[in-house]
Amino acid sequence: MELIVFIFLSVWLVLSVVGAIIVKNPVHSILFFLSSVLATAGVFFSLGAELIAGLQLIIYAVAIVVFYVLVITTIPWEKIKKFEGIYLGEFLVGLPFIIISVIFIALLINKYDISSIPVKVEITDNVTRVGKTLFTYYLFPFEVASVILLIAMIGAILLGRKEE
Amino acid sequence: MTLEKAYIILGFLVFFLGLFGAIIRKNLITILICTEIMLTGANIILITVDSILKGTDAQIMSLFVLTVAAAEVAIGLGLVMAIFRLKGYEGSSEITHLRD
Repeated sequence: MELIVFIFLSVWLVLSVVGAIIVKNPVHSILFFLSSVLATAGVFFSLGAELIAGLQLIIYAVAIVVFYVLVITTIPWEKIKKFEGIYLGEFLVGLPFIIISVIFIALLINKYDISSIPVKVEITDNVTRVGKTLFTYYLFPFEVASVILLIAMIGAILLGRKEE
Repeated sequence: MTLEKAYIILGFLVFFLGLFGAIIRKNLITILICTEIMLTGANIILITVDSILKGTDAQIMSLFVLTVAAAEVAIGLGLVMAIFRLKGYEGSSEITHLRD
């Protein structure tokens, strides 16, 4: 059963990612990216990380994709028709590099024995454990993350403002 | 080969596909989408390692990765809009002012 879920999700994810990087129109690319985000949320659910899967759906599939679509609608596409698509030379040079890298990394991972790793088993559910760790051990990085978001917001406002 | 190893290889595959897309795409917005795909691959590897170790630390790391992704989208799309408004194009082959 887990194998069927893995095969379904991985085929869906890889097809969506390939579509997002190959397809010509940027709006279609964003729709493929949305599909890959949904598949990633499924992967997280099947790995037992329910909180991150929900956050993935909320942050990526709602906030970020809508933000991309909003920016695309403000740009007149007739003027930049020549920037659609891919560079063919880079495609032909990069494809063997990607294939060889993935094959070598897969061989390396396959050689390592993960059954020898000691695990500590806890019986509470995922959200409780993550929340408890996040608000005790990782409280200071959590607050720093809010400062990062605030600075990003200020930077986006400064960049998007009209120059006088 | 166990299923966790297959998940890690899937994460690496998604990461390298995103890197490939960031190299080959012409449009700046789609390059940003490929950066998001790379972050997604890194997240898959983090969550898988956490599922192997039965811990929570890597899930919190991936929470911070989500934060950085949101900040990166805000700044990146702001830069794309600024480049488009100042120069009138958004192809990656045209932005060569530092080279010239």
